[in-house]
Amino acid sequence: MKDKKLKFLILNCSFVFCVLGFALTCFAQDGKKLEELKGQYFKEAKFTEFVNYLKGVAEKDKSLEAEANYYIALARYHQLKYLEEKQSWDEYFNEGNTYRDEMTAGAQKAIDETKANDALNVKAHLVLWQFHHDQQDVFAQDALSNLMNSTLEYAKATKDLETIKEVADKLSSYGEKGKSRQLYKIYAQELLSSETKDGELKRIADAFYKEENTELAETIYDAYIERIAKEDKEKLMPVLIGIAKSFAYKDEGPNDPPYAEKIFNKIEELGGKESFDEALIYLRAFNLEKSKEYAKAKDSYLELIKRYPDSDQANEANFKLGIIFTYILRDAKSGKAYFQELAQKKAASAYVISGLYQLGLLSQWAQDSGAAQAHYNELIEMAKSDFPDKVAQARERLKEIQDSKLIEYNLKTFLDASLKEEYTALDSAKSNLRSHPYIAKKDAQVQITSGIQSAQSGCMQVEVQFLWSGDLGENAPGPNQPAFKTTYKSPGTKMVNLVVVSPTGIIDRNIDLLDVR
Amino acid sequence: MLAACSFFIIACLLGASPSSKVHLKKFRNSRYQLIVNGRPYIVRGVCYNPVPIGLNHEYDWWSDPNKPWLVDGKLMKEMGINTIRIYQAGENPEAVKNVIRDLYSLYGIRTIMGSWLGFWEFPCPFYGDKAFQDKVKKEVLGMVNLYKDEPGILMWILGNENNYSCFGRVNPWTSDEVEKEPDPQKKNALRAKIYYSFVNELAKEIHKADPNHPVALGNGELLGLDYANQVSPDIDLVACIIYRGKTFGNIFNSLRNTFDRPILMAEFGADAYDAYLKKEDQNVQAYFLESQWRQIYENLAQTKEGVANCIGGTMFEWSDEWWKHEEANPDSWKTHDTASNWSNGSYYFDIKAEGNKNMNEEWFGIVALSEELENGINKRTPRKAYYVIREFWKKPTLIKPKVKSQK
Repeated sequence: MKDKKLKFLILNCSFVFCVLGFALTCFAQDGKKLEELKGQYFKEAKFTEFVNYLKGVAEKDKSLEAEANYYIALARYHQLKYLEEKQSWDEYFNEGNTYRDEMTAGAQKAIDETKANDALNVKAHLVLWQFHHDQQDVFAQDALSNLMNSTLEYAKATKDLETIKEVADKLSSYGEKGKSRQLYKIYAQELLSSETKDGELKRIADAFYKEENTELAETIYDAYIERIAKEDKEKLMPVLIGIAKSFAYKDEGPNDPPYAEKIFNKIEELGGKESFDEALIYLRAFNLEKSKEYAKAKDSYLELIKRYPDSDQANEANFKLGIIFTYILRDAKSGKAYFQELAQKKAASAYVISGLYQLGLLSQWAQDSGAAQAHYNELIEMAKSDFPDKVAQARERLKEIQDSKLIEYNLKTFLDASLKEEYTALDSAKSNLRSHPYIAKKDAQVQITSGIQSAQSGCMQVEVQFLWSGDLGENAPGPNQPAFKTTYKSPGTKMVNLVVVSPTGIIDRNIDLLDVR
Repeated sequence: MLAACSFFIIACLLGASPSSKVHLKKFRNSRYQLIVNGRPYIVRGVCYNPVPIGLNHEYDWWSDPNKPWLVDGKLMKEMGINTIRIYQAGENPEAVKNVIRDLYSLYGIRTIMGSWLGFWEFPCPFYGDKAFQDKVKKEVLGMVNLYKDEPGILMWILGNENNYSCFGRVNPWTSDEVEKEPDPQKKNALRAKIYYSFVNELAKEIHKADPNHPVALGNGELLGLDYANQVSPDIDLVACIIYRGKTFGNIFNSLRNTFDRPILMAEFGADAYDAYLKKEDQNVQAYFLESQWRQIYENLAQTKEGVANCIGGTMFEWSDEWWKHEEANPDSWKTHDTASNWSNGSYYFDIKAEGNKNMNEEWFGIVALSEELENGINKRTPRKAYYVIREFWKKPTLIKPKVKSQK
């Protein structure tokens, strides 16, 4: 009888141990599976179901409480965003307060239940900051400072670069560039201090560049450049040139013109101006032009025509120098010299034709009708059946002269604003003008957009007008259009002019250059 | 005798002697609270200008025999509104007094009375001109003396976004002193100092005439308040006109750092028309307003976690105004126009509307108007925001930072 009882007891105990073991295994799997489960639940927008499941997990196994709380916070955060995006207002108004409360409480519990060396601690701080940031509330600043502190502490305590990168990526995507750079630096330093070889470091930077994470790529390239500079200076120049080319302006793909210029400066420091060949000088000039750093672009274009007067880009450089001197630096005398340089050439090209047009236009504006007519007629004769858009513009100007009319209103306003001394305060700082793409094909669509930084006026909106002129292609945008799409029928550098006018006068004037090839 | 006793009892019941005593209390760390007759008062308000369909802002609604404020006041009380903001009193003082008295005695709703400070006078408000200043001063002090003893009066607001005229392109004005200055930035600074000095002078005079009600500066955003900080010591609080979408951003902290005064969010809100989808959208209006009120409550002195310099708000506005889109066209006043007058990217749901114009001036009402008449006035239909804000005020659920600052 005793044996039977003992056997029964042993069997019972075994069963209990088995069940416990099974349960613990399941819970451990729950922990591992939470990230995976999150993906499934989120994909189907089953946020509340996920939260309910997590609450069960936390109740069953205290060791998973912190993790469950973090995922509750994350789920509620995404749920609120989802409800806003889908405009599921009934649930939003009925349950929003509960979700917000569970979000902040979950994150706080996860923080309380973890230590500084736990990635969960950082992640809970991250979601809390995102929440306050999105709410635009007064707690966002404190939450950001807490997030930075916890991430920095975590970086000291562990070698987990992925979590640091995750936070940096998120900060970068929210526009917190200073903070993200700080963390990217830590990431790069960790890579440097580890066994990572030069080639591997470059490979990592290249990979981030391809991912279009230019901020992190730049941080690692900087670290890589620093390391190469110490070890092998001869190897440095081609590395710098390669990086500068990668980051120089392009219409598609990752680029960062100010960073490219920083690298161009390093190249110049290292090897002087001689280390730039013809293509590299042009690339630097073009990159500066697209950064709207016209004064510096001018220096590079000058360098190009000085060292490579027979360059394929010499005509383009001369024309752009004429434009920059005349309309940006307000030095029409110097500008004309470059247009004249082009006009003296016998062969018709887009730049020669445009140079002649500019000479005609500047003469017409200066009321020297004879000289203006001569330039326009020369243009028409030289162009023959080519460059129909410029020929049409020249004919329009000639008609104005013949009819003793003023230059077309928008164009004249632009010329006055750009050339008259009384308008020197209009320095293009209050307006922005951009084209896309900057290197366009004939008949391909180009989008031209403008922006205005006007003084605040609250709900009393100031009506502004956009006076477009210059090379507008096949479109004729009206004064109420801050943006338009167009196409160009002939090649060359196109100059788009804009004057922005409010009821009290001119706010600003601007130009943009794009190249049709 | 019986009548006098009754009046005394009613006055006591309303917690008011002939005139309420209203002041701002400053606590440690620049926390502020509005105190009315010795008790904290949170302004749960709305801007009020009940222009009927088919008429425009020149209509004297104060003298409307159908008394629209009676219908509105009842609805407001049921919602939880305790204050209305008036931009400028009507021409007939007795009619104005009647409105203030009715709203207060029947519904306990107090009135914030404002003045445009001649902002819309033709050709423009010459704040540097002595004759113009004297004229505005006379009007403002006239208003104060007329209404200061009304128990329903809560405070005075001077101006409404007039500061933009100092810096931008709205109602531009100048003076000999400004004209002598060649630097455009210094011109702006001069104009701002002239304007804020003048408003300060008004505030000082008002305090002499009426020590019982605070004087607010009706400012667009915080623009120019660094100048006010130099020349406007007699301003009691800032009444801010602000449209930043779902919240007010860092305005509470910014104000503390530029011009340390309590703040009343005097004009904010969202319209109930989706200019992109071209249909009424009451939900989005309610969404923005709830979020805005939540932030107001988070920054009251009563809430420990916030900046605690906010005393409440008067949202824009009680009822739709059908005359606003084409002000000069009387035919348009009879139409609920859906064309937008201005653009604001912070109201992101319909910013993709043509030309990015997404702010529909005629659709800001917490209640919609219909052409159907009820008791002689356009029938009021509360929008969703009415109910959502009512529930919020009943149980203001705030976002509180769960994480203590690690500083």
